[in-house]
Amino acid sequence: MIDQFIIELQKSISLFKPEATLAVTFVVALIADLIFKKSKNISGYISLIGFIVTFYFLFWQKGQNYGTFTQMLSVDPFALFFKFLILLTSFFIILMSFFSKELYINNRSLGEYFSLIAGMTFGMFLLVGANNLIMIYLAIETMSISSYILAGYTKEIHRASEASLKYVIFGAVSSGLMIYGISILFGLTGTLNLFEINNFIANNNVNIYALFFSVFLILAGIGYKISAVPFHFWTPDVYEGAPITITALLSVASKAAGFAVLIRFVKAAFIDNTQLDSEGIWILISNIDWRFIIAVLSVLSMTLGNLVALWQTNLKRLLAYSSIAHAGYMLMGVAVMTDAGVTAVMIYFASYLFMNLGAFFVVTLLANKIGSEDIDDYKGIGYRAPILGVCMVVFLLSLTGLPPTFGFIGKWMVFSAVLESNFIWLAVIGVLNSVVSLFYYVKIFRNMYVRGVEENENKENYQFHPIAIIVLLLLAIPTILFCLYPGPIANWAAASVGIFLG
Amino acid sequence: MLSDFGIVLLFLITGFVFVALGLITAAIIRPHNPNPVKQSTYECGEELISGSPWIKFNIRFYVVALIFLLFDVEIVFLLPWAVVFQQLGWFAFIEMAVFVLILLAGLAYVWAKGDIEWEKPKPYIPSLKDLVVERKQHFAE
Amino acid sequence: MFQSVSLEYFLILAAVLFSIGSIGVLTRRNAIIIFMSIELMLNSVNLTLVSFASFLGDSAGMIFVFFVMAVAASEAAVGLAIVLALFRQKQTVNVDEVNIMKW
Repeated sequence: MIDQFIIELQKSISLFKPEATLAVTFVVALIADLIFKKSKNISGYISLIGFIVTFYFLFWQKGQNYGTFTQMLSVDPFALFFKFLILLTSFFIILMSFFSKELYINNRSLGEYFSLIAGMTFGMFLLVGANNLIMIYLAIETMSISSYILAGYTKEIHRASEASLKYVIFGAVSSGLMIYGISILFGLTGTLNLFEINNFIANNNVNIYALFFSVFLILAGIGYKISAVPFHFWTPDVYEGAPITITALLSVASKAAGFAVLIRFVKAAFIDNTQLDSEGIWILISNIDWRFIIAVLSVLSMTLGNLVALWQTNLKRLLAYSSIAHAGYMLMGVAVMTDAGVTAVMIYFASYLFMNLGAFFVVTLLANKIGSEDIDDYKGIGYRAPILGVCMVVFLLSLTGLPPTFGFIGKWMVFSAVLESNFIWLAVIGVLNSVVSLFYYVKIFRNMYVRGVEENENKENYQFHPIAIIVLLLLAIPTILFCLYPGPIANWAAASVGIFLG
Repeated sequence: MLSDFGIVLLFLITGFVFVALGLITAAIIRPHNPNPVKQSTYECGEELISGSPWIKFNIRFYVVALIFLLFDVEIVFLLPWAVVFQQLGWFAFIEMAVFVLILLAGLAYVWAKGDIEWEKPKPYIPSLKDLVVERKQHFAE
Repeated sequence: MFQSVSLEYFLILAAVLFSIGSIGVLTRRNAIIIFMSIELMLNSVNLTLVSFASFLGDSAGMIFVFFVMAVAASEAAVGLAIVLALFRQKQTVNVDEVNIMKW
């Protein structure tokens, strides 16, 4: 008994290496900042090294399917896919931060900034594998508390403090709601383990109203993280106020972690995992129709996000609303509750990573030069910064979901998954929304290339650091390349759809 | 026997009686002899001369409170550990030592960053002239 | 000790506390009081967890309470630090005056 426990523990620890590396990176980066006070970037470099080591350990987790630490955390292909996405995002964010002027003004110390990114990555790693409600709560809080601080890191800029305050208040309330839901769910089922909850609901008669209430509260907490309407209120303000790099991190990595935990929570706790119905749709074990509820959230998110984005003038705020809309598209994939839907969400995230990070990096680089994120200040900028302009066009095409880009593949997979499971009304609303989104993406394009050409004719081009251009191309080339060769990522996602089930 | 609610009720009654007893006794014993000075508001010893009493506290108090808050919660974890310490032995001791060490590292970090240095406020030393002016204004009102 | 007080009373008390906390968050305008209300919400959750744990005889709920307390403290610390940063700029803790970004 004890021997078996020790063997399990050893295996768990050996599978915990990536997370442990991140935790060590966090601490070492902090201490290095104390020791080497002269160099501002030292903790950034240490974080990059830590991330590379984590990549190495992640490769060794390939094919594992195990519930570590008495099923607290699962190490499975599904978690691995999201861990790769999150780590890649954090890696790019640190690279982007080196070129962000707003972080470096006022002689600011950046040690905590870089180490908190590592800490936040650690929280997200725990979140994508969490199998226990305690673990979900702790991981969400690790991630959130780091992001509260990061959102207000440029604290002498008024907008950043305001964003941070709004974020922390909304965040604390939503995590309060979530944990109240968890406490009721614990009372109903007598356990915090998702598989045991599943087992209990399947074999016992649970009060359906209490179950609905508690799970809805938990969904509110997760919905806050993925900024789905009606839990989206913080998103535009925080995205506008936070440093651009952090906005990018929140919009990609923390959303990916939120989606991973949403899918795992629904699938591990409320799905009959022994059988599928004739059309490959997961069978819900309780009488509550979660499919319809998530579909409604999805429709609300994409419609509100796209419509409000139409009259935004600040580019960061526009991208915030567009990210709400993208959360809506991805929720469609969750709502259908088939393996195809989840695969589509994963591919969508892979595309979203490149296109969204790319768009935010262009905004960062241009904000360094023109000191503004207002769309009206982008007039004629496509001619003064040719490479950035072309890259931005690629990212915008991809965000809209037009053919020669990766975004098209993601959207196509989601829509085909929705159609396969006969959610035709949902697909129709999704397509209509994509058309609406074209309007505001074209608005950016028009400002960059069509308007204000004469004023900028004789001005010289902006100069950018060559490494910044390389990083930008590293984001732009995959956006096109993976449309032409989507095979590897699509196969990987399809193979990673299985989650650890008790 | 009393139920648990009975005990709560007993506490409530005792609380009410305790307060009421004091007030009633005082009302019976005390002499009733009011004058304007006695009826004026008691404001920390003396009447307000000028300015608002709602001054801003030194912002450093909040920073110290924040740091205290973090170490305060340590006790929550130490208490149950202390209760079962006898049964767990050295392993538990080492575990808790690691935990406390992590928190101490946090304290060291705060110290090295200079966040527990007491930022001395510049004291406001009123000159005699200011005081005289204030007094005059006060009496003029 | 609490055998004679049934579970429902604890749950109702917790629900009332939670409602008071959430109403406080929605109606109060002072950031510090908002954080106090959030603490009230979290403490009502703790009460729910502890009473369920003692009712079910499962200590997992009590362990959860420790984590909730630790997280609540760190959340409050970060929240207060952010309020401080804002206070240094605007000399106010009123959330209605924190409104440069709208729609």
